[in-house]
Amino acid sequence: MNEIEHYVAPSSLEQAAEYLQRSGEVTLLAGGTDLMPQSQSGKLKIKRTLMNIHQIPELKGITIEGGEIRIGALATITEIMQSELIQKHLPILIEACDQFASDQIRNAATLGGNICNASPAGDMLIPLLVLDAEVELASKPNGSLTRRRLRLTEFFVGPGKTRRAPAELLEGVRIALPPPHHYARFFKFGTRPALDISTISIGIAGVLNTGTLSNVRVAFGAVAPVPTRAPRTEQALEGRHLDAAAIDAIAAVARDEVKPIDDIRATAWYRKELIHNITKRMLTHVAQA
Amino acid sequence: MNGAEKKARFIAPDTLIGKRIPKMDAPEKASGKTRYIHDIDLPGQLYGKILRSTRVHALIKSIDTAAARALPGVHAVITAADIVNQRPIGVAKDHFPLKTDKVRSLRDEVAAVAAESEQIALEALKLIRVEYEDLPILTDPAEALKPGATLIHPEPRQPGGQDALKPSGPVAFTGKPDNVAMRFDYCHGDVVQAEAESDVVVEDTFKLHYVTHCCMGVSGMIADFDSSGNLIMYSNTQVPFLHKREFAEYLNMDPARIRIIQPAIGGGFGSKLDIYPFEVICVFLAQAAKRPVKLVFTREEEFISSPTRQPVLLTLRSGCKKDGTLTFRVVNTLHDNGAYTSWGATTPFVMMQTFSSLYRVPHCDYHTTAVYTNNPYAGSFRGYGNLQATFAVEAHMDKLAEAIGMDALDFRLKNAQAQGEVTGQGMEFDSCGFKECLDTAAERSDFRRKFAENLKNRNSSDPIKHGVGIASMLHVGGGAKIYPSDGCGTILKLDDFGQVTLITGASEIGQGSETVLSQLVCEELGLPMSALTVVNNDTAITPWDVGVHASRTTFIAGNSALGAARLAKAKVLAAAARKFECPASDLDLRGGHVIKAASGEALIDLPRLMRNLHFSDKAELVMTTFYYEPPSSYQDKRYKGNVSAAYAWASQVVEVEVDTETGIVKMTRITAAHDVGRVLNRLGIEGQIEGGVVMGQGYALTESLIIENGVTRNPNFRDYKLVTAPEIPEIDITFIETMDGEGPQGAKGVGEAPAICVAAATANAIYNATGVRIYGLPFTPERVYRALHGKGEKLVPLTAKAA
Repeated sequence: MNEIEHYVAPSSLEQAAEYLQRSGEVTLLAGGTDLMPQSQSGKLKIKRTLMNIHQIPELKGITIEGGEIRIGALATITEIMQSELIQKHLPILIEACDQFASDQIRNAATLGGNICNASPAGDMLIPLLVLDAEVELASKPNGSLTRRRLRLTEFFVGPGKTRRAPAELLEGVRIALPPPHHYARFFKFGTRPALDISTISIGIAGVLNTGTLSNVRVAFGAVAPVPTRAPRTEQALEGRHLDAAAIDAIAAVARDEVKPIDDIRATAWYRKELIHNITKRMLTHVAQA
Repeated sequence: MNGAEKKARFIAPDTLIGKRIPKMDAPEKASGKTRYIHDIDLPGQLYGKILRSTRVHALIKSIDTAAARALPGVHAVITAADIVNQRPIGVAKDHFPLKTDKVRSLRDEVAAVAAESEQIALEALKLIRVEYEDLPILTDPAEALKPGATLIHPEPRQPGGQDALKPSGPVAFTGKPDNVAMRFDYCHGDVVQAEAESDVVVEDTFKLHYVTHCCMGVSGMIADFDSSGNLIMYSNTQVPFLHKREFAEYLNMDPARIRIIQPAIGGGFGSKLDIYPFEVICVFLAQAAKRPVKLVFTREEEFISSPTRQPVLLTLRSGCKKDGTLTFRVVNTLHDNGAYTSWGATTPFVMMQTFSSLYRVPHCDYHTTAVYTNNPYAGSFRGYGNLQATFAVEAHMDKLAEAIGMDALDFRLKNAQAQGEVTGQGMEFDSCGFKECLDTAAERSDFRRKFAENLKNRNSSDPIKHGVGIASMLHVGGGAKIYPSDGCGTILKLDDFGQVTLITGASEIGQGSETVLSQLVCEELGLPMSALTVVNNDTAITPWDVGVHASRTTFIAGNSALGAARLAKAKVLAAAARKFECPASDLDLRGGHVIKAASGEALIDLPRLMRNLHFSDKAELVMTTFYYEPPSSYQDKRYKGNVSAAYAWASQVVEVEVDTETGIVKMTRITAAHDVGRVLNRLGIEGQIEGGVVMGQGYALTESLIIENGVTRNPNFRDYKLVTAPEIPEIDITFIETMDGEGPQGAKGVGEAPAICVAAATANAIYNATGVRIYGLPFTPERVYRALHGKGEKLVPLTAKAA
């Protein structure tokens, strides 16, 4: 039976942080698209207090501030997809939104939820990793609102596990405006184009200069306990002229770098093959860009 | 000017046949007003929930329900021990609704609760303690056949004595000496001789997987006893009249005291042909609680405890001569029956038809062994074994053609059945548009050109390969004579407003039967569709029908409705003839009027004539009844006979893109040519074809119920992947109208046909694209990728002995 004892819906970040500080036994509800199925299936137990964070204005909006794009934790996938700011500066996020679940889920699901759910296959996480996004966490440890920033690469610790403390609230993400000639692409592989969990996903970003990428960032999804950057692949790719031989070599590094598992969606062997073949395909596009 | 001088009105001939008529229930469904079982609540109703086994195969040592019974709000907790004389259910009577001493699969029902809310019922389930003792698990049908294998249905141990198998009686009482649930052996001709005379022989083994129906409406029912002890069931069954009789047997009741009402049914596809434990348990709960009980599945329960399509391991050996004449087929199949026997075990009835009779095969041997395992059990599912059989047959049509260097289409045309043929199995093809289907599908898809072009491009550097494949199917299209009657009754009532009530035994399960039946009646009576009301969901009202199965409703119920309409028309015209003092043959019905047949001049509107009839001193009602029994015959013991009054044919061409770097197969176009006899409702039949094709696409590409060691690993729509809208290819549909002599207005059944050959054609298309043939389904990216890289699953051939 339903064991939720309290329901709270704070109307400000202060209130929410205060409540979280007082009681750790809180489950946060944003879009609910992960929370509901996970609690129904028994995978996740809702704590004594359910906090609906939907009415907290500080968690909303997509803005540009001091050379950074800030996306509020409550921004839905649909909002991001329709944002002109994102379209202009961070089109890789649109690519990910476009492959995110279904229209209905995109209308409800929030970016903050996708991040805090910390699925190794989370669709928005790979593009955010290659954009070197930072998460902004708010709390009220000693009577005043405090914020800390953490690079997304350091945020994930395991499937469904992050460095967010129980008293903290994810306020939003901040992404530095990409430099000129920035190139960033995302590829998700699933058995169907909609409503699918990635078999694998790949993000590649860098500054493009006649067939080479510099300041390279590569991230892979669904091949490790957390969505992960791929330093060896990045190193192999950094500044390298992308001829056929180089692309082959880099794709091989990528395949060797990932450590996927067998599950009902795919075997580890097949995931490694996909990482190799799709990395190769994406780099061929870079070479032609 | 007086009435007699009123200007004569003429009504031009018109027809409803072949028109695009929206389904009568569409506005209700589209606006969310349709009332499904979920929407129905009876006063005083309780909620039922079932406790299922947590073990795949185990002895039940004890069940403690004390805490559950003590929970406030709980009205009944039942186990097998609470049911006196529980009767086994199912096709082989091997299945107790509530398990007695043993659970044989993970879906097994151990206890059930009726409570004031679903939440309380669920809470009560958690309080039931069951102690199990695990038994060895059998999930491989080949293992289950080996001597010494654990028996799934051993003879129940007698209280003080020896085990001794009793010769008769239900399996659940007498047990089985081995794990064989059913065997089928069919033959015509001499395959040994035929093989010796063949120029080419091919043999392959195919593995067909588990899929399930995924009806949008999950299973559910309400059981209610009235104060006289009569049982009213609100049920989603596809076969209400058969179930009435069967429930009576299981409940030890007089069938006359059972009434089945069907609320709108959210899809059937064959899943609701058998009686399942939950239905009997729901009645037990209502008996125990003395209150109406509603039991509706969750989606997870629907996945775990619904029947599956029959998984099949199949070895096919085929031969032909150099000139392209087919010589023989030998088929051995192993059916994984699961723990209990439902209709899945009997799919050989249909499978053998495809092997023996889709193409002209002079010699054919067919053998099936259906074997008990601890897996989920297989039921009937749109196509009824034909998807599996067609998958193998059509692979061999391609392979044989290639082996003798003959064009794949020419090879098929050479061996295709034609009108007037009687097959080795005794099927008589009074109408047969098979060759037209082949030609049409091939022409409309430009099959030959694309086939040759794709072969040339197989070794190009582009990782995306294009393929085109063709496959065809034969399926019953005029009912299937397997029950004491294959008939359907109709009552037709014309009221004093000229409104017609069509009371038919045929159930509507979303397939559009009430629309097409109304159309046939309206056509006959010259009425608009708006004049029709259909009553089709209450055994206390409707006349007998065998049920919705075997693509029979349009044909059988259509002929029945037509028969009743013709009687009504004769009655109305006879009355008009008396009134207008002319022969009835001079009159006709058109546009809601009695008209002069020759000129179309309207004589009287139907409502007025009806009132004249009703409210006169010789009062007469126009109510007619008709029972239609098709002129088909039962199969003999060797499975021979003309079981259907008509047969449906189709050819489909599937075009694919295979990404060789990921293994993903994208369907780009499907060209379908279907011999449907005649198109009645064009909109409805297009919907049937499109829906069936997409179901076939799911079977071919994405759908798979993953069962590991008896456990369903993906009981949800996240991991059980139905096809979604973006993947549905362009579907080009052509109807071949062969005007079947026995069909209503020439029509034949088409319900199952469109799903049958998609997977077979897809396999051929992948081969055309890549040169790699894949023998197992579904063609998921990883399966295809593995096959392309020589890492495909190796299948061990079945020999006659092994099967």
